Amino acid sequence: MNTIYIDTHFKNLVMGYLNDGKLICKKVLNSNKHSENTINMLKEILEENKLTGDLIDEVIVINGPGSFTGVRIGVVIAKIMSYTKNIKLKAISYLQALDLDYDQDINIGISDRNGIYVGSFDKNHNLKEDYYYLTNEEYEKSSIKIEILDDQEVDIEKIYKYLEDKEEINPHLLKPLYVKKIEVTHD
Amino acid sequence: MDVYILAIESSCDETSMAIVKNGKEVISLVIASQMDTHALYGGVVPEIASRMHTEAITMVLEETLKKAQMKIEDMSAIAVTCKPGLTGSLIVGIEAAKTLALMYDKPLIGVNHLIGHIYANNIENEMEFPMLALVVSGGHTELLIMEDDYKFKKLGETLDDAIGECYDKVARVLDLKYPGGPNVEKLALEGEHNYDLPHPVMDDTYNFSYSGLKSAVINLVHNSKQRGEEINRADLACSFQEVAIDELTRKVEKAFRETNIKRLVVAGGVSANKYLKGEMQKLCDKYEAQLLIPRLLYCTDNAAMIGAAAYPLYLRKEFSDFSLNASSIGDI
Repeated sequence: MNTIYIDTHFKNLVMGYLNDGKLICKKVLNSNKHSENTINMLKEILEENKLTGDLIDEVIVINGPGSFTGVRIGVVIAKIMSYTKNIKLKAISYLQALDLDYDQDINIGISDRNGIYVGSFDKNHNLKEDYYYLTNEEYEKSSIKIEILDDQEVDIEKIYKYLEDKEEINPHLLKPLYVKKIEVTHD
Repeated sequence: MDVYILAIESSCDETSMAIVKNGKEVISLVIASQMDTHALYGGVVPEIASRMHTEAITMVLEETLKKAQMKIEDMSAIAVTCKPGLTGSLIVGIEAAKTLALMYDKPLIGVNHLIGHIYANNIENEMEFPMLALVVSGGHTELLIMEDDYKFKKLGETLDDAIGECYDKVARVLDLKYPGGPNVEKLALEGEHNYDLPHPVMDDTYNFSYSGLKSAVINLVHNSKQRGEEINRADLACSFQEVAIDELTRKVEKAFRETNIKRLVVAGGVSANKYLKGEMQKLCDKYEAQLLIPRLLYCTDNAAMIGAAAYPLYLRKEFSDFSLNASSIGDI
């Protein structure tokens, strides 16, 4: 079982190749141009591991939250791979991926310039309420205890294992998890 | 051997894909328009456009292949609009194209959207060189000589606003709904040229200018409101349109006179304007020149034109690598 892991949600572009759940190869690039680098990285991973699209069984993508454009890059690649090559598609939020290291009730946060994306999980990794975004100002005023895990890496093998018994997603229906609202209004 | 190109266009608010045979024959074309959504906001909201492209992308691909009864394996290359446009929107199409090219080991061809509009004329007609090309859209107003495939010489361009942008602004002050251009054109049909508006660049260059005309319309509406006078909106729309298009015909006429070229193609979203088409036809009749304007389907944004414009690049093996990126600017 050949799995490709793709994470484009923030500055670090991360990609991995797993065989039967064992991480064989991982690449990390601090990139501010994911749109130029992501497919090149995927190409390298395929070449170095003598893989082609037809030999990939599964793709796991981090579907957010984070940079809107960044998240979209990973999601679009995963959707097209899955749809065209009939590859099993799974998605997980970065907050959920971080939570896999914590077997307790916890509020996990990752921050961007203006605020924090928050996910509240119970000890069995169930999301207790919808993800939300706090601006820096709102966060300062709030009394919620949030573990901000900006620099923590996620464990790709753990993600694989967690998703193992989860249902695959129809590629037409996979959407990025934006969480943060955009400011536009209409009548 | 026949060349089949799968083309993707996502530069603004249409997610479109097409399969084009030998740069001329449209085997299938799918356009998922977001116009109704953006109309709620009175214009295209870039972030919403990018989101809708992401949601539509695999469904548009499925429909395109199904209509053509073809597989990606049958394609000779994958082409995609890479500039100019909304970068967030362009990136969705570009990443999809790159993924397809990698998964199926096909050459990737990055296409300029404006050149795509010109090659829309090669789909149902035959472009012959040399020819004059007038590119009129929401972001561009340019007059070019095209000496051969992908051989352009710019005669002039707008010094400020694009004509399409000017139509949209005028639509706004006349309280017309998005998309503004077609609605100004419709209203103009009911009016007469009774308002005296300034003619933009009366110089001897091939350049255009629309900001003065735009300001004149805005000021006129504003001043009338302050004086409590009623504006005849249809007359103002008609006056504006005649001056705006006259700016184009004067420069094209100058080019006919000075270059002696006997062919004109009009390209870009504004080429859907019937008044523009009529005026250009009159001009072409006068100079015994041939006029090419694509039919409406190929005037507005569509992927078939991208497939048509990718074909000469395919023949010359001018392929892009996987670093291909989006750009909001993209001169011809």
